[in-house]
Amino acid sequence: MSLPKSMQQPMALQLTSVGFLAFWCLIAAFPIFWIAVMSFKDPIDAFASNPLSVIFGPETVATGRGLSIVSIVVGIAFLWYTVHLALTLLPKMVNKYTPPHLLVPGWIIGALVFAIGFLIVFAGILPPVLSAVNSILGPLGKPILGLTTEHYRAVWVENAFYENFINSMIVTVGVVTVSLTVGTLAGYGLARAGSAGSFIAFWILIIALVFRALPHSVLVAGYLPPFINSAEILSPILGDAAPTLYGKPWAVIAVLVSINQPFTIWMLRSFFQNIPNELDEAARVDGCTHFQAFRWVIMPVMWPGVITTGLFSFLLAYNDYLVCSLLLDAQNQTMVPAIAGYFNRETTTTDQVEAVAAAVSIIAPLFLLIMVFQRQIVSGLTAGAVKG
Amino acid sequence: MLKKLLLAGAMSLAVTGAASACDFENTTPVKSLSAGFEAWKAVTSFMAKCGDFEAELDQEFRTKQPAAFAADPSLYQIGGVANGTLVPLMNEGTVRPLDGLVEKYGQNLTPNQLIKINGETMAIAMMVNAQHLMYREDILTELGIPVPKTYDEVLAAAAKIKDAGVVEYPIGATMKTGWNLGQEFVNMYLGMGGEFFGPDNEATIENEQGVASLEMLKKLTEYMDPEYLVSDSTYVQQQFQQGKIAMANLWASRAGAMDDANESQVVGKVKMAGAPTADARAASTIWWDGIVIANNTSDEEAEAAFRVAMNGMTPEMVKENNDVAVWLIEGYVPGPLALGVVQTAEAGALPYPASSQMGLMHTALGNGVADFLTGAKDAQTTLKDIAGAYTTSAKEAGLIK
Amino acid sequence: MNTKTFAAFVGPSIFLMLLFIAAPLVSVFMQSFYVTQPIFEQVEVETCTPGFPTQTCVTETKIQPVLGEDGKVVTDVKYVGLESYYNVLEPDRAWAALKVFDFDALLTIDFWKALRFTLTFTLVTLPLVIGVGLAIAITVNNATRMIRGPIIFVSLLPFIITPVIGALSIRWLFIGDGIMTAFLEWWLNQDIAMFAQGWTIELLMMFYRVWHVAPFAFLVFYAGLQTVNQDTLESAVIDGASRWERLRYVIIPHLMPLIVFVSLIHLMDSYRVFEEIVGFSSQAYRISLQWLTYDLLTPDDSGNRSISRASASAMLTMIGIVVLLIPLLRKTWRDHKGGRV
Repeated sequence: MSLPKSMQQPMALQLTSVGFLAFWCLIAAFPIFWIAVMSFKDPIDAFASNPLSVIFGPETVATGRGLSIVSIVVGIAFLWYTVHLALTLLPKMVNKYTPPHLLVPGWIIGALVFAIGFLIVFAGILPPVLSAVNSILGPLGKPILGLTTEHYRAVWVENAFYENFINSMIVTVGVVTVSLTVGTLAGYGLARAGSAGSFIAFWILIIALVFRALPHSVLVAGYLPPFINSAEILSPILGDAAPTLYGKPWAVIAVLVSINQPFTIWMLRSFFQNIPNELDEAARVDGCTHFQAFRWVIMPVMWPGVITTGLFSFLLAYNDYLVCSLLLDAQNQTMVPAIAGYFNRETTTTDQVEAVAAAVSIIAPLFLLIMVFQRQIVSGLTAGAVKG
Repeated sequence: MLKKLLLAGAMSLAVTGAASACDFENTTPVKSLSAGFEAWKAVTSFMAKCGDFEAELDQEFRTKQPAAFAADPSLYQIGGVANGTLVPLMNEGTVRPLDGLVEKYGQNLTPNQLIKINGETMAIAMMVNAQHLMYREDILTELGIPVPKTYDEVLAAAAKIKDAGVVEYPIGATMKTGWNLGQEFVNMYLGMGGEFFGPDNEATIENEQGVASLEMLKKLTEYMDPEYLVSDSTYVQQQFQQGKIAMANLWASRAGAMDDANESQVVGKVKMAGAPTADARAASTIWWDGIVIANNTSDEEAEAAFRVAMNGMTPEMVKENNDVAVWLIEGYVPGPLALGVVQTAEAGALPYPASSQMGLMHTALGNGVADFLTGAKDAQTTLKDIAGAYTTSAKEAGLIK
Repeated sequence: MNTKTFAAFVGPSIFLMLLFIAAPLVSVFMQSFYVTQPIFEQVEVETCTPGFPTQTCVTETKIQPVLGEDGKVVTDVKYVGLESYYNVLEPDRAWAALKVFDFDALLTIDFWKALRFTLTFTLVTLPLVIGVGLAIAITVNNATRMIRGPIIFVSLLPFIITPVIGALSIRWLFIGDGIMTAFLEWWLNQDIAMFAQGWTIELLMMFYRVWHVAPFAFLVFYAGLQTVNQDTLESAVIDGASRWERLRYVIIPHLMPLIVFVSLIHLMDSYRVFEEIVGFSSQAYRISLQWLTYDLLTPDDSGNRSISRASASAMLTMIGIVVLLIPLLRKTWRDHKGGRV
């Protein structure tokens, strides 16, 4: 792309912006990179004050756990190849095997298969192969970079973190589905409210925004007593079928959906406003009801906005601490509050490193999510999901 | 360490060896709600051997317990409580007297374990905990300092250690603003012989002992890492393990970690002693942890729950987890690590004076004392403001007219 | 769209919001005017607890609630009017301090201390978030297409990361002899303790918030930049507008609605600042309004909580947010009337 001369950037500006971007990327990624490094070390190394001992982990190496030069080279090559595949092969396969209207589930399934395949090779096959190779190589095969996965094992196997993972998935998928279903309907309704309705629509939005401003701790503390006593409260209406809401994932889903509803309808409404009115009016002229017009004309074109909004709902549900920790019991606890279990009255340094490993485990799926949906988020926002 | 499953219920170890199994087969669903530290994990995993038992080890149990026990039927049959957390359950009458059950199934219990209120057994204690002195024996011996018995000696020892340049900050303390800092003041003030309340529940901390306590805390902070207001017991333990401090008044349940070779660089060098005394007695308070049985539950359920609970507090359990806590349960072999608690108790430390008023006072102290330590207020103003904050909350709670 | 269809579309959403947000809000509003107190009685109580070698028994006069016939605590609900607000605001002390311009004394009162911090926090981070977000968006937009993808990916990391974990990850870099503190000590050649005084913690908290939210602003602005009218830009170039003038007169006005949107969201979220206080344990030096509410609501060891004062403090927080939002809401209202929304 050739720009007119005056649009090209002078050297100094280019250098400054490259420098600025590099600096920003460093700041953005460093803390996360650092906790990832910590999670693979022995407690003494992980909390050492010398950064080099955190990176190289002398204490961890001393106990014979670590990576040799060969392992590092092979590992990096493998990672690079994985990223390469994710950017080339994965989109190709997904586009080939999924019909266009199922693109979103297609992507999710594709990404999951890819992630599982990666985990099997990277965590299952590579380590034994490499340790066999290392034992033959002699000095080249000696560990130089301390690394231990025992904290991950402790978190996932001994502490059964997978149960929390499943609970997180239930809550998150529930919140995203319900929130988008309810939110798209409301967003569409508000966007297409006639001139009289537009006044109501505006005030609903403003009130929703003020609701959004209410401190969550107040809301949550308000829920707890009725949730625990709900069987008693609801029994006159529902009889013996009255449920105890406390500890039920679906009750938490309803709460999280409501808390995020103002933001969801705000985003979706402005998105729908950018879809020309004529589109559904034409359908109406052809004899469709509002719901039919919505189903057959709007739904096919709304995906970019829905994906973007869905991502925000996902983040809210997945990252929630306050609501889940108070309203769920241990059997149904999600991942983020489960981390708090490591910070109890008797937390040791090992617990802290395990907590770090758990934290990294929580972030990892978010990585994957962004990798897959990055393009959709930007295009969704560009298509007008936010227009003030 | 969080080694065991978070959900002891999922472990269902009932199938393992007969020697350590439960003495009956439980068929009534029983659930418990308690804090999540190591001792509870040990006890609940033994309870799980009786079958049909779910343990909830929850960090938010303080918030959930009163409401869950007040529900009818109660959501849990067994509750894990301590001095303080028993108060709201007692106040609302949601726990039942256990004398009948103790007579029937409590053969293994020692008299020390029965928490009696007006002669009725309301809870069964399993362990005690207290803050007491831990010190680096090597440093003290090298400098020829005897183990400090009073806080003045602690200050003198700290000065000597600092002058000798062995460590930069000789003292560590759990002074994180909030509950921890409040606890430090309570310890010191009781050690100085102070009284918190007058006959009508009004605060009586604006006195000499109050000022003396604040000033002693401030003198101690001069020998601490300047970030003491964010240091909780995990942080102090780490400072010990990394060899950064020489003395601290730390929880007995933390003692084991000093000799954990995976984390500690000072294995075998940290020794225990009773809490240093202030003007009147040892400046520490004795805490207990134990179980209660819900009132809003049928007698059969209560009986099953009690039997399950008794199977968590067996000599076998203690044998497997001897150094996890200072157990009150039969079969406990007090190790060198338990010495601190015993000496503290002998030096006259009081049980933590839990009550509704004390809860409010503790909160007011936890939020208020920092202002004196940072120099924002002088001692009199600090105490006056704390008393004021207490009065406001106590009036709102209806404790003061 | 007639009313019925409109209601059918919007109904479910409104129902959820009414049930789970409006209902608690109303109850909070009511509770701020009432206190619920148990009826107490004085009783002599003997308590025996474990001791060495034998139990310690203490007999003392305790105050405890009266239980009714149904086994529940007998309570008395009292209308107190504005008393809870009064207890939160402590106007006497505040006024006494203000009269002599003694701001230090004013800032020893919890509410005013929290308000001071919350306002500073909100108003300082707002321009930073907008500025940093805009700067990244513009530079990324000018960068070659190939590196845009990876940069957007890295930039999004601070935004998607779980807030509690993000705060802890930055805390670990700085606490005690954390590596960043060690680095600063080496660089500035002096002893530094980031958690030993208020202003450094405040700086860290603001840094964390900008780090966490700027990517959101960046994302929104970057999306907005994709729709800048190229013709307008080119004609501006032909008119001899400098780079700065193009930014000032073409790009910023184009992004204005988005800037308003981001400001709105950011004002609401940062006025509720809470995770930072917990994550950086700054309670000794800095507290925020939501933390104050949370602290009043958290039961202490004996199960006491100050529901009435917490409700009052929550209402005051809400009023504060609405006041802050008024200018932006007015702008949105004018746009709305002008038919732009």
